[in-house]
Amino acid sequence: MQIKMGIFLCDCGGSLKNIDFPKISGNLENLEDVAFVDISHNLCLEEGTRAITSRVLTENVNRVVIAACSPEFCERNFAGLLEKLRLNPNLLSLANIREQCSWAHEGDVTGKALELIMMAADRAQLLQPVETKEIAVNNEVLVVGGGFCGMKSSLELSQLGIRTTLIERESTLGGKLRELEGFYSSQRETMIKAVEKEENIEILTSTEVAGVEGKIGDFSVRIRKGKKETLRSFGAIVFATGYKTEVAAGDFPLKPGVNIISQERLAQLLQAPTPEAKPDTVGFIFDLSDENSRFPTLATLNSALTVKQRWGSEIYVFCKNVKVDSEGAEKLYCEAREQGVVFLKFDEKPTISADDGRVKIEAKDVLLGEDVTLTCNLVVAEEKFLPSEGTKGLSSLLKIRTDPQGFYQEENVHLYPVSSERKGVFFIGNCRGDLGLGRVLTDIFSVVAKIRELLSPGVVAEVDRVKVDPQKCVACLTCIRVCPHNAVQLVQIDSEKVAADISQLACDRCGICAAICPAKAIKFEGYSDEQILAQIKAIGAS
Amino acid sequence: MKANKSIVVIGGGIAGITSALELANSGSTVYLIEKEAQIGGKAASFCCKATEVCTKCSACLLPQRLSEVATHPQISILTNSTVVGINGELGNFRAEVWQKPQYISPQKCVACGLCAEVCPTTPKAIQSPPPEAVPYSYSIDESQCLRLKGKRCNLCREVCPTDAIAFAQKPEGRELNNVGAIIVATGFDVFNAREIGCLNYSRYPNVLTGLDLEKIFRNQGSLKLPSNGGKPKKVAFIQCVGSRDENHGYCSQVCCKYAIRLARLITYQTPDAEVTIFYIDLQTAGKGFAQFYKECQESIRFIRGVPIEILEAPSDELEVRFENISQGRVERENFDLVALSVGIAPRKDSWDLAKVLGINLGDDGFFDTKEPFNSVETNVEGIFLAGACQGSKDIPDSIAHGISAAERAMEVLQRCK
Amino acid sequence: MNGEIVAFCCEHSAYVAADAAGKQGLHCPENLRIIRVPCAGRVDIIHILKAVEEGAVAVLVLGCEDGLCQHLTGNVRAKERVKYSETLLKEIGIDGRRVAMFNLAANAPHKFIQAINEMNERMKESGEEK
Repeated sequence: MQIKMGIFLCDCGGSLKNIDFPKISGNLENLEDVAFVDISHNLCLEEGTRAITSRVLTENVNRVVIAACSPEFCERNFAGLLEKLRLNPNLLSLANIREQCSWAHEGDVTGKALELIMMAADRAQLLQPVETKEIAVNNEVLVVGGGFCGMKSSLELSQLGIRTTLIERESTLGGKLRELEGFYSSQRETMIKAVEKEENIEILTSTEVAGVEGKIGDFSVRIRKGKKETLRSFGAIVFATGYKTEVAAGDFPLKPGVNIISQERLAQLLQAPTPEAKPDTVGFIFDLSDENSRFPTLATLNSALTVKQRWGSEIYVFCKNVKVDSEGAEKLYCEAREQGVVFLKFDEKPTISADDGRVKIEAKDVLLGEDVTLTCNLVVAEEKFLPSEGTKGLSSLLKIRTDPQGFYQEENVHLYPVSSERKGVFFIGNCRGDLGLGRVLTDIFSVVAKIRELLSPGVVAEVDRVKVDPQKCVACLTCIRVCPHNAVQLVQIDSEKVAADISQLACDRCGICAAICPAKAIKFEGYSDEQILAQIKAIGAS
Repeated sequence: MKANKSIVVIGGGIAGITSALELANSGSTVYLIEKEAQIGGKAASFCCKATEVCTKCSACLLPQRLSEVATHPQISILTNSTVVGINGELGNFRAEVWQKPQYISPQKCVACGLCAEVCPTTPKAIQSPPPEAVPYSYSIDESQCLRLKGKRCNLCREVCPTDAIAFAQKPEGRELNNVGAIIVATGFDVFNAREIGCLNYSRYPNVLTGLDLEKIFRNQGSLKLPSNGGKPKKVAFIQCVGSRDENHGYCSQVCCKYAIRLARLITYQTPDAEVTIFYIDLQTAGKGFAQFYKECQESIRFIRGVPIEILEAPSDELEVRFENISQGRVERENFDLVALSVGIAPRKDSWDLAKVLGINLGDDGFFDTKEPFNSVETNVEGIFLAGACQGSKDIPDSIAHGISAAERAMEVLQRCK
Repeated sequence: MNGEIVAFCCEHSAYVAADAAGKQGLHCPENLRIIRVPCAGRVDIIHILKAVEEGAVAVLVLGCEDGLCQHLTGNVRAKERVKYSETLLKEIGIDGRRVAMFNLAANAPHKFIQAINEMNERMKESGEEK
């Protein structure tokens, strides 16, 4: 089809004085394919809209070039306007002659401005329309992990009418709520009952994820129970696989007869009826092998107050820094001190030894400036906050990166809070790090919002923005391996041929595949090789 | 949800913007009400703290969202505006919005700068917007403008190509009807370091706050001593200025991390600079921070013990008196520059807004939630909280909170029909 | 071309930083031509080499800081490709320092200007300005 291009130049209220607009217009008018060149004062305002509307409709152009301010702030508006005028929005090409030209240099920049417009025009000649289409998605959600996080998010999703399948590796739901019964009291039973009652939630215990293929809106998940595997289909997957804690054995001489226990064990003891022989002195110790975790501080503060309340023991806490960067933590810390809990801060690690059935801790208290020796009946040991069992396996199954500490979710600020680099796969709660309850709750609602956004009926996506030409594709699998979003799959084209296929919903438009394809089989419309090379050629051509 | 119900978001910082985008992308109509002349909040003046790698400060997450919000067809931004009254209830609020006179209309201003060129006063009454401003439009300083002080001057109006300047502008009231829900995302005030007199902030030019440092890096790209423009050789950071004290019984959560990142940025740009961080308890927990902290320990000195006094020393230096807790004695040391890691404080105007909306303030002065561990719902059904106005948060947490508030608002609205 | 510097700018970081530089009044040499790309990882070796072939005095690829790329590996791949282009150019007798990769964030306009100025200086030194 014959290209008919309309060019609009905006002189920003006449303020771009270092650009000679009439000169540029003169240069462009006579070019082949250019129907008109209009100089406008304020394309972004109503008068501009009227000017564009009337010109585009009367001249019947099929490509539009606009030279104005940064596309960051005007592209969307102009594209929307063109769409209203029945011109495909992708047939618009912009030149940034304000922030990156007029404002960026002293002196006359007419030459540069002309070149930038030529670059945009040459690119425009090669632009093709891109359609949008409604894409049918499966809006069922798989929630992996039946602890607090998994159960609560399933409840929230089901209340929105979304069918949720909740799978749990153990034989019962509850996760850490079981061990932390003391802090969350009857929540576990109430929650499990609520989940069981919900029609929209399907519960599968003693079940694991064995494999995940596919993309957002269409994941094929292999679910394994015992020896049996079933294939299920979901629109999105939420991982709420939680954490585990481990006492770092190297720090403690765990010999029989010496009373060193974990926080979990303490929580259990505190729920049991008060023992006859209450420990007189209880010591808490953390910051030995892991200085950078909130969990030991929060667990200690909560436990210490309960111990004071129930057993009335003398309590000493040995640590390097109290991590109070969570809501309410500082208040807990102050309350603990008011209740008589003594905090001893150290710089060098204390020595822990057995002493006649009790535990002796020797440390240099920095605040006192003195060596302190305390013999405790019971010592609650530091536990490292770690990703739960199976995190590593699952992340390689999902082909998803973890952070330097091994928790889910690559440590990339663009993914926060709950997304992963694979669209439709989410991580919530402590499986992505040591969060604290407040942040866990926020995660749950964030993921519901994201799922609502991505899977609502009538979800629309661009079709073939990035497309593989099956005739050129040699199925080398490079794009599949290289795509950071796992958006490419191998599909059967016909009885003889397989080729790569890019999911329009999962594709995040980076173009890495287009650059790397050895057969140049992938076309990224708007940023194709030809469209980029045309811009390069236009430089210095005038 | 009914297409004609709108949602009002009060506050255009990172949390408010996030809520607005979440709501708009799900089909709602959003009014984003911002008190200042531009949206973006505090994070708009934060700098990039990358060394050879990104240090995950998240400050650059704002510019991306700003252009999205500014061009979203479902979002109407009202700057220079405050909510002065509401009535009604969840699903059917009516909000009264008061807009300060914007002598230069941001809708019409194309930021050509011609008005500022011709403005006759010194300093000029018409200021160009800060580079990160959205809307990117000029504004008139009432205290400098001749016309607004009653004198005759029409120079700016004469050159304005879009007729954007109107001196007759009066404060304008506007009613937003059919508002389904309201999200409060008004953010925080930075603790006023002047309140701690012995630290001599604003008396000695080389005593700065963390926010001042951010702005310097953002606007100038590198750190120079305010007193003489020289390169800083010895820098001190003082933690917990306005946090964890009698009047602020909470940890601001952001200061240790921003101090360590800024300190590392300083040692990266000026390898022979010595940086010391004075702290009470170092807050280094958080996704991936452990590795960064470990690396920083090689180039940054950490001293437990918060300074009590900053005094003038010869050659523009600052003498810091502090208790070195690990050594068990009081010490003095000279530095070129002292940065006060000021904390997050509730906004002074929270009380007014709380009265207008009928929501409660908590003990610390932040907006209160209806129950503990429900961090977005207030005591008024249909009014939600997003971001630091509910309690100290860093940028990622504020974003998460904003998404969460938007979700709850949509859920509650759906259920109320 | 006539002494131009071609800069491929990632739309998430470098392009926004370039805008901010213009707004802040930070000036850079007029010979700069920016080509907007969705990610530094979109830039292929052929684009870099074609720009040199067409006469660009220098070719820059500007992407996000290490660890900041929204597409995780885009900036890393771009860096590798720039390095490889350097090698290829050296092999055919062209100064490999004509191509370079810079990393920055959207709110770092000074880094953007620094990158452009650095390339210009580099090319002036080696006498390649025209």
